[in-house]
Amino acid sequence: MKRIGLWQYVLRVLCGTGLALLVFSNTANAEENERGKQLFEMCSQCHGLQGEGMALSLAPSIAGLELWSLEAQLRKFRDGARGVHHEDIAGMRMRPMSMWLKTDEDLVAVANYVASLPAVTSEATIEGGDATKGKALYGLCQSCHGANGEGLQPLNAPKLTNHTDWYLKTQIYNFKTGIRGSNPKDTTGALMRPMAMALANDQAINDVISYIMTLSK
Amino acid sequence: MLIEALVPAASSYAKDIDFVWELVFWFVAFWFILSEGIFFYFIMKFRKKNSPKAEYISGEEKHQKKWITYPHIAVLICDVFIVVAAVKVWYDVKQDMPPTDRTVRVMSSQWAWTFTHPGPDGKLDTADDIIKNDELHVEVDQLYHYELHSRDVLHDFSVPVFRLKQDAIPGRTIMGWFTPTLTGEFDIQCAEICGIGHGLMGARIFIESKEQHESWMAKNNPRGENLLLASNEGR
Ligand code: HEC
Ligand code: HEC
Ligand SMILES: [Cu+2]
Repeated sequence: MKRIGLWQYVLRVLCGTGLALLVFSNTANAEENERGKQLFEMCSQCHGLQGEGMALSLAPSIAGLELWSLEAQLRKFRDGARGVHHEDIAGMRMRPMSMWLKTDEDLVAVANYVASLPAVTSEATIEGGDATKGKALYGLCQSCHGANGEGLQPLNAPKLTNHTDWYLKTQIYNFKTGIRGSNPKDTTGALMRPMAMALANDQAINDVISYIMTLSK
Repeated sequence: MLIEALVPAASSYAKDIDFVWELVFWFVAFWFILSEGIFFYFIMKFRKKNSPKAEYISGEEKHQKKWITYPHIAVLICDVFIVVAAVKVWYDVKQDMPPTDRTVRVMSSQWAWTFTHPGPDGKLDTADDIIKNDELHVEVDQLYHYELHSRDVLHDFSVPVFRLKQDAIPGRTIMGWFTPTLTGEFDIQCAEICGIGHGLMGARIFIESKEQHESWMAKNNPRGENLLLASNEGR
């Protein structure tokens, strides 16, 4: 076999690197999603391979949530505005995962990837909710979360559809008791707290959730 | 000295633990250097060029066996020193419980530390308790008991500057003690694999002077969080 000289070898390596750089710079956009996808592998251990959520790990469905709300919630976890209350068992599990995203670029990349996943519709698990009564109660919610639960970014109110009902229930309960939304850093969560308090009892919470679940279909 | 150069010793028993560690270190260093030294000396001395062909010996005669027996006895004597020192330190740190009226509660969960400070009245489970995630505040030169719990799986309460490590076991309440001796802010970590977030399960300990500690309590109290705990019962 013919052996190549040192200079020829160096030249080949340089050409190879140059070519690789050219290819990479052309696919920079695709690469950001690659990064998001790569990071999401970690998230999928709790949130499921398609971001469909997993009750066992208390992890909600996140697939297809809007980019702005994903980013906002990830920042809240990371900056200690959510998931720091000592009774917030689920939030304490998510907080280290957000801290694992070391840079803002990574945070945005994974949020982009999650937002691009198709939204999932889940079966109801809460029994005894009355969607008709819930519709009346939802009148209060729609000024912020939209008539169809689609969310309103100008009011920082995320979409409520395509969530599992058990997650909606814990969140309303958490807002009500101050487990979520009582941290001084969580200014938008504070807006939601009085709304959760307006739902007088467990029955009212179940009713409004049954109605929200009908919006997801 | 060796460990303290890297991690400050901030509890009353940190130096005792370091002492045992260094005792082991120096015994091992002595035997290691001695045996490696002899080993390399023989390799050089009896290299092929200036030695006859090796002879097979079964090593049963007394004058041959003594090369094993004497060092063996010497190592066992070293062991006696190590065992005596270790048992004494273990007894002081883990078995003895010097009395005190200060107790903090340490709750471990996936993946955070929740510390319940007794607050101004010095008693746990009263309305002025101060509950903090990932922040433990103590007063320097005061003896504390800790009450360690786990909410879910095995964790380990580790405070490197105290040389303190204690497993937390779900369903059990484990008691222990420490006396901080340096003021400052130091690490707390989880030292038992407890799931995907284990590596990020860190917290901070703030060791404060009497005045600092009192002003911290005044600032954080009352938080009314126990009222909230009570309302959780109906969940
Ligand atoms: C250890 C399990 C676990 C892992 C891994 C994990 N999460 Fe979570 N996540 C949770 C839990 C539990 C919650 C629910 C928190 C609550 O109930 O307040 C959550 C909540 C969220 C929320 C809030 C959803 C909402 O509607 O407000 C987002 C967004 C999220 N996770 C994104 C991610 C991303 C992105 C990753 C990967 C970097 C990730 N999670 C990794 C457990 C996990
Ligand atoms: C004043 C506007 C407002 C009203 C009215 C309102 N919300 Fe909200 N809601 C918010 C905001 C803002 C957030 C996001 C909080 C955050 O940033 O963490 C939120 C969050 C939520 C969440 C958590 C979503 C998630 O993905 O974690 C649920 C569930 C929810 N609201 C349910 C309701 C229900 C049910 C009602 C009616 C009873 C209601 N909201 C009324 C503003 C509102
Ligand atoms: Cu742990």
